[in-house]
Amino acid sequence: MAGKMNSSTTIDRLDAPQVISPNVLTHLKWAMQDTVTITWRDMVRTVRQPEMLMFAVIMGVVFLLLFNYVFGGVIGAGAGVNYIQYVVPGVLVITALNGAQQTGTGLASDLSEGVTNRFMSLPMSQVAVIAGRTIADSIRNILGLLLVVLIGVLMGFRFESFSSAVLTVLLPVGIGYAFSWLGAALAARLRNPETLGMLSMFWLFPLMLASSAFAPTESMPRWLQGFAEYQPISTATNAARAWSDGSPARTDSLLTLAWVAGILAVCVPLSMHLYRKST
Amino acid sequence: MSIKAQTLIEVSEISKSYGDREAVKNLSFSVAEGTVLGLLGANGAGKTTIVNMLTTLTSIDTGHASICGYDVSSQPYEIRQLIGLAGQFAAIDEKLTARENLKLFGRLNKISGRNLNARIDDLLQRFRMADFADQIAGTCSGGQRRRLDVVSALIAKPATLFLDEPTTGLDPRSRADIWEVIEDLADEGTSVLLTTQYLHEADRLADEIVLIDHGMIVASGTPDELKRELNRDVLEIHLDSDVAFRSAVRLVNDQPDIGTDENAMTIRIPLSNGAVGSLALLRRLDDAGVTIRDFQVRRPTLDDVFLAFTDA
Repeated sequence: MAGKMNSSTTIDRLDAPQVISPNVLTHLKWAMQDTVTITWRDMVRTVRQPEMLMFAVIMGVVFLLLFNYVFGGVIGAGAGVNYIQYVVPGVLVITALNGAQQTGTGLASDLSEGVTNRFMSLPMSQVAVIAGRTIADSIRNILGLLLVVLIGVLMGFRFESFSSAVLTVLLPVGIGYAFSWLGAALAARLRNPETLGMLSMFWLFPLMLASSAFAPTESMPRWLQGFAEYQPISTATNAARAWSDGSPARTDSLLTLAWVAGILAVCVPLSMHLYRKST
Repeated sequence: MSIKAQTLIEVSEISKSYGDREAVKNLSFSVAEGTVLGLLGANGAGKTTIVNMLTTLTSIDTGHASICGYDVSSQPYEIRQLIGLAGQFAAIDEKLTARENLKLFGRLNKISGRNLNARIDDLLQRFRMADFADQIAGTCSGGQRRRLDVVSALIAKPATLFLDEPTTGLDPRSRADIWEVIEDLADEGTSVLLTTQYLHEADRLADEIVLIDHGMIVASGTPDELKRELNRDVLEIHLDSDVAFRSAVRLVNDQPDIGTDENAMTIRIPLSNGAVGSLALLRRLDDAGVTIRDFQVRRPTLDDVFLAFTDA
């Protein structure tokens, strides 16, 4: 094919068939470029499958209605709080975590089809395949959370200020982003969307219920309290809750950021390692 | 077509094991610029492993392979700029349209903007994909999806195209369609490494054939050379009942390398002494009272080569 050049003025691989040996900078440039491309791809897929967004939102709304109207009276009275104000931040975190599950299932179905082989045969950044997906899933999560917030507001939930509203949504999205990478690591290991879905039931539900998302941890037995108070769902919920009603949010926000950083520090390299081994 | 035939792919004594199983053993071959090489073998012969190694998807245990002078093991990113891969399973995004798929793989190949759009339009038109260009890939027919898959591998004008069983599972019409695409590419001078378990496919498309069995090369050459190498004719006998078929098989079972097809009630017997040997065998069947519907003595096909060289 060498010598088959056309006379366009833009230089890219079609005009210039010579092979480049990528250095660190090229790899970095590719990583960013390819992440944008993969994000675009996954966004198009999201638009084509609006049910993926709707399921996450509907689940959030069902939790909101269920907890507010079924358990709200008991828990709210027991804790001496306005329950809708209490529960919305928790539902936001749960909805974000639930939405983050789709990173794993999406990647697993990619891996069980042939498209991953093609990605690996292209001169592209392989991190981008996962990174792009986590970003697309976070964008979808933001949309979903805004819809849940809207329902919450209709039910009487109020923010202290606009900036507190932004942080109330972003902290759950942040912890969701970290869990997206955890899902990616599991997906790269298991490769099967069904197995992955089953597995997430095992950890997501206990983690969700043994947290401060729906009820104060003070009523739990002592042995559970320590875990329930400092696990990521609780710190994110506590932080979002504090931001939403204007109480001091610093410690819980920092704890949440520490969780995000810790999970990413383990799961980004781990998922890349497992993904590369997956052919 | 280039004037001097340069070697594009050079494979020298590569091996690959998975645990105890040796998938590929000490394999060497080369592909010249502008030619189609057919890797022919049954399921599990090691064809996909070879393709995966050459396209950097799987590491090579021992031995060396190079494409356009770049080393496959140590220069994967250079290699990936030189190859296009279409695998056994359509490697396309089913939720995107055909055009969006080409855009996705084009961008990941670092082609962009107007250049990419022009390239996509050219490919869509050249490979007669215009009528389903904006249809979601998942709703296209199997043949259309496979065509999109092969064309996706062409987006960056690769020097070498790897096609791993490109027509497996396709209906005859779509298969003929993909053949046309491959023939067009070969005419344009793209080198193609094609794996197949269909002998007539290799016969029709490949300039050179490498016959693989249990991860080893058992024969290689042009389709004609391989057929000549057998240097014997084939007697093909067609029976018209199950009973006749079974007694006929029993009567000629002493012949080496016979092939039987129960559904077609056909027996194939390679013979080194063509006409004379045929007469003797036919007389034997006739004497035993077996009714022969039809018979022919013909030059060997690749099928016969395959049966002779592998223990399939």
